[in-house]
Amino acid sequence: MKPVTKEILKESANKLMFDMSDEQYSALLEEFDTITKQMELISEIPNVDEITPMVFPFDVTNDYLREDVAQESLKRDDALKNAKDVVDGQIRLPKVVG
Amino acid sequence: MDYLKLSISEIHKAILAGEVSPKELILSALKKAHEDKNNAFEYICDKEALEQVENLNENQKNNLLYGIPFVLKDNFSTKDIPTTGSSNILNGYVPIYSSEVYLRLVEQGAILIGKTTMDELAMGGTGTTGHKGVTYNPWDKTNSRLVGGSSCGSAAASSAGIVPFAIGSDTGDSVRKPASYVGLVGFKPTWGRISRYGMFPFATSLDHVAFFTRNVEDSATILKVLAGRDDKDSTSSFKPVDDYCSQLNANLKGKKIALIKGINDCINDTLILDTFNKVVELAKQEGATIDLVEIDNKLLKAIYPTYIVISCAEATSNNANLDGIKFGPRAEGESYEQIVFNNRTNGFSELIKRRFVIGSYSLLKENQNDLFLRAQRCRHLIVNTINNVLDEYDAILTPATPSVAPLISSVSSDKLSNEYLIADNHLAIANFGGLPSITIPCGFENGLPFGLNLTGKAFEETKLYSIAKRFEDITGLANIVAKEDK
Repeated sequence: MKPVTKEILKESANKLMFDMSDEQYSALLEEFDTITKQMELISEIPNVDEITPMVFPFDVTNDYLREDVAQESLKRDDALKNAKDVVDGQIRLPKVVG
Repeated sequence: MDYLKLSISEIHKAILAGEVSPKELILSALKKAHEDKNNAFEYICDKEALEQVENLNENQKNNLLYGIPFVLKDNFSTKDIPTTGSSNILNGYVPIYSSEVYLRLVEQGAILIGKTTMDELAMGGTGTTGHKGVTYNPWDKTNSRLVGGSSCGSAAASSAGIVPFAIGSDTGDSVRKPASYVGLVGFKPTWGRISRYGMFPFATSLDHVAFFTRNVEDSATILKVLAGRDDKDSTSSFKPVDDYCSQLNANLKGKKIALIKGINDCINDTLILDTFNKVVELAKQEGATIDLVEIDNKLLKAIYPTYIVISCAEATSNNANLDGIKFGPRAEGESYEQIVFNNRTNGFSELIKRRFVIGSYSLLKENQNDLFLRAQRCRHLIVNTINNVLDEYDAILTPATPSVAPLISSVSSDKLSNEYLIADNHLAIANFGGLPSITIPCGFENGLPFGLNLTGKAFEETKLYSIAKRFEDITGLANIVAKEDK
């Protein structure tokens, strides 16, 4: 397991596209002291690694295909309604290609 | 007569008898919502509710929900009505479609009077972290106690006598814990029983639609309206919908109920434990077989960390769409990456960021096996253990919370103690296994309510309601509402 440092916490936050202040990282690092101890409680369970990971509460199998019927899709005006910078029916962003 | 303090069935009878009209009810509910002192509302639907009540179809007046006011937690999408998830990152967002839950209720004639406050994006258990600040417990006149979360505003609005039922969501205990703190019935059904279409996802494998009512019968009534397959939610179940009210008159004779020793052992509040034990004795006298069952304490202590790792990890991907470009406030930036980065840095509160970092850290390549996958394995062990108990018993009965509503100012408890890890967080077991689970009032301590919880087998809601109704009769605590003298 990767040891917890301020740098690792910053890396974890930046991967999710946000940042925190230096003080906030320090406070979180302190909190991680407890979080790590809590996480270690899982490892104390005998045979925990012998069982498969549970992804959902129980198996849900969908073995059907819906009828191939055309449905109304999202209207452009609706799709753009909540965007803050719209020009000519498109969301404006800074140039990506020079 | 304040009809809003009655149960759904009582209000329905009053409407049919012509004692009160839907319009009078809605005007009264809106007035109360504006006078609310608990910070329960994100948005009050003055215009929308009045429009809807004017357009009610009288042919529907035999529907139990006809003209009945209700509120939705602000993580349910409502077309043309602002929906923020109590997060600054969604300030000003107005959905272009409605959640299935909202549509099903409106179709029955129920009338939405407001969207309620919540812990930011449903990630919290205190009702203190939404962008509008702390939501207060209606039972405490000094505004110094938590209502609990994350469905804090829905709990407060219903227990304060504004609406007879309120919709929330429950990922770890977000309806069933606040229900304990405010003297309401809080229920979450089997995972997949109610469509989650249009409900903001937090942790998909644990999220449930859930709701507050003032008695068990009303809860069964709401489930009947909301349950059933929805093609728009691929995880919603095809199983037929039951008549959930059909066994409410059954007794406890022959019913087998399990108590979990390790949970009861770490309840330190003797009044809560004594009251709980008295209720257990009365249930035994009615013919129930109630046994103390042992579960490995190591498993019980792992409930909370398992929940935190899985929920935070799932939350990181579920909230990746909150970029401020398609919706929400837009920050400046020289590239689109920088705009997204700034939007998210400005839009999320510190607490939410911490949860995301926990999730992100658990998912780091080097940690995934030791943290995320191991938590999923632990979840499997816990669920197998609980399902084995439920193979032998009709329900598991526990105190819902180890205390009455805590003081907002109280120093957070020792987060490595059994009381915190087990007694305060055991309700997440039902989310792990997707099991139906209900909290009902159990007693009072210094004028503040506390609840008990019953959890049953998947898709056996009718039986669970039947058992819960008898416990409600034993405690005699149905239809309780906080006094209005704030």
